[in-house]
Amino acid sequence: MSRHHLIANALVALVLAAGFGWLCTTVFAMLGSQADWSKTWEYRETLWRGWLVTLGISFAALAGSTVCGLLFMLGQRSALVVVRWTCRAFLEFVRDTPLLVHLLFGYFVIFAPLVSRPLGARGWDDKLIIGVLVLSVFEGAYLGEILRGGVESIPRTQWESARAVGFSRFQVYRYVIFPQALRRVLPAMAGLFVSLIKDSSLLNVIGVTEYFYNTRNFISRSYAGLEGYVPLALGYLVLTLPVAWLAHWLEQRFRHET
Amino acid sequence: MKLEIAGLTKCFGATRALDALSLAVASARVLVLIGPSGGGKSTLLRVLGGLEMPDGGIVRINGRPLPSDPAALQAYRRRNGFLFQQFNLFPHLTALRNIALPLEKVHGHAPAAARELAQQALGRFGLLDHADKLPAELSGGQQQRVGIARAVAHQPEVLFLDEPTSALDPEMSAEVLELIEELAAASQDIILSTHVMGFARAVADQVAFVAAGKIEELAPPASLFAAPRSPLCQRFLSRVMRY
Repeated sequence: MSRHHLIANALVALVLAAGFGWLCTTVFAMLGSQADWSKTWEYRETLWRGWLVTLGISFAALAGSTVCGLLFMLGQRSALVVVRWTCRAFLEFVRDTPLLVHLLFGYFVIFAPLVSRPLGARGWDDKLIIGVLVLSVFEGAYLGEILRGGVESIPRTQWESARAVGFSRFQVYRYVIFPQALRRVLPAMAGLFVSLIKDSSLLNVIGVTEYFYNTRNFISRSYAGLEGYVPLALGYLVLTLPVAWLAHWLEQRFRHET
Repeated sequence: MKLEIAGLTKCFGATRALDALSLAVASARVLVLIGPSGGGKSTLLRVLGGLEMPDGGIVRINGRPLPSDPAALQAYRRRNGFLFQQFNLFPHLTALRNIALPLEKVHGHAPAAARELAQQALGRFGLLDHADKLPAELSGGQQQRVGIARAVAHQPEVLFLDEPTSALDPEMSAEVLELIEELAAASQDIILSTHVMGFARAVADQVAFVAAGKIEELAPPASLFAAPRSPLCQRFLSRVMRY
């Protein structure tokens, strides 16, 4: 780095830090005096429970969307035209309509009348299960397209070589195509999984008592402001940052390999 | 190796890549296909190697017909070896793993045994130093040699090579051609296509001239290169031998 760069960097860093500092002090000066963090402490158990539910939803939907994404990808590569077109149409529909609509429509119109009672009878939380299901399908639709892009980017010779050494169709995907395709789509997948964690907050509209739902309740009950929003943001960061870091680390590792 | 082909046809859209091709080779260790690009050499090799289903015709290798259902064709591919022009190796696996993985997953060897066999295959061609390298760390010639090592590691009945040196410079070509010659000397049955006429002459028992989806001429290399009978073959050889 040249001296000019060094000075320019230092100056820009200083300006940015000053600006951010000023913004924080102003906000806290306005609201901080009224902030009463004992409220947050008082509601800690509700918040903690909500956060755990969000964690659970995230893990479940992560697994669910991976399964959905794989199915959508394979469906679009099916030898049967009908399967390909049906998948295509379904994916377009899911990707071009809001998740909020899916949740409301999926829960109140489709699933609740059908399965709420049998699920409730077994003592299961129908909202949670249906919410995770809808979220999995929604994110799976995006994942399906990401995976399809990755799989189709692998050159023809790799498919042919894999067949030539005698791999079965499944083995071709398992040992040759997926390992290469996953490396290519890792950044996109990480972005999607981060989105998924954040999107899980929308499950509050069907009454799932996840982190956002509980925080909002806490805020409206105790007239909290910063005391509610700051832990809310931090709670999601604690979930999303590891995903982003993990993806970054994997990317670095594979870069050295190829 | 005994080879009988009758009326073999393969179309890609409106193009007839193979046009009622017939060929009878009573016995040959190494069969070399030569001819102009787009004449059907690759397609013929791919059909013989079980990678492409013909639209019609009969193929018998060593008296056994080429299977026509996908499962039997996969078993057939497992018995044989196939090498393309380039990019044969799986880029995310080391040279050793490239060879060991099919031995393990396709041929059912235990991991340790597969590793041992893969090391032997590499050692046989003097490639052991490169065992732990990724394909990107190998030269084009080394990649092709590892590719061949993989194709013969399970002792295939027939080894199919589709222009194995077309993507290589002359020096690297030489190292690959030497290896193929070595295999032929070790009595491996080979069917290959090439543009290197000197190599075809040196290694072949029979040379087939393929053009316009047909076999124009089949003869031992000495007679085919000295006195080609078909006019097409004469013209082709006089062109490629001029420089």
